[in-house]
Amino acid sequence: MKSLRVLQAIYIRVKRHKITYFIQCDPTESTLDIKQKLQELVDQPTNNQRLTLVSTNEILDDSKTLAEQKVENDAIVALTLKKDDNEFEEVYIARVEDFTSFS
Amino acid sequence: MKKEDTVKLVSAEGFEFVVDKKAAMVSHTIRNMLTSPGSFAETQHGEVTFPEISTPILEKICQYFYWSLQFASGKETEFHIEPEITLELMMAANYLHT
Repeated sequence: MKSLRVLQAIYIRVKRHKITYFIQCDPTESTLDIKQKLQELVDQPTNNQRLTLVSTNEILDDSKTLAEQKVENDAIVALTLKKDDNEFEEVYIARVEDFTSFS
Repeated sequence: MKKEDTVKLVSAEGFEFVVDKKAAMVSHTIRNMLTSPGSFAETQHGEVTFPEISTPILEKICQYFYWSLQFASGKETEFHIEPEITLELMMAANYLHT
């Protein structure tokens, strides 16, 4: 048997606007675990975050694991944050075509 | 995750990719930036801008970093590269010593 590694099995790409967070995780981790990892990076507590699996448009459930929700290696997950009026913002991931460079 | 364990890579169009330092250090160029004694100004802020690397290429490179770590730990999957980005990707990889 191979020795145990610190490295976790998969990574997901969490996207909001023009930013992408590469998050290493394990299929047995819950959505809440992922939000806790994001907490410091996005500067927002977990209950202000909502994660949506982009391929199915499904909002991820805090208590369910990634495997249960079919979140696989390299999956793209949209992050939305709670606005001042306590509602979540719309999913928005910027596309590179909207920002053509001048070179 | 702690901010100081990550580094932000910025593409030509200003898209930002936040990756683990450990993953980014697959690139020798970035490793040198992050570990050289003088410290580059960019790396002190944990941010490196690549004005010559376009967004899709930089994202592919970040995916490669993680694929490379997975491969090194014994998970043998293929790394898929679209033919139309091959040349640009090779040029960026050459620059990054990846």
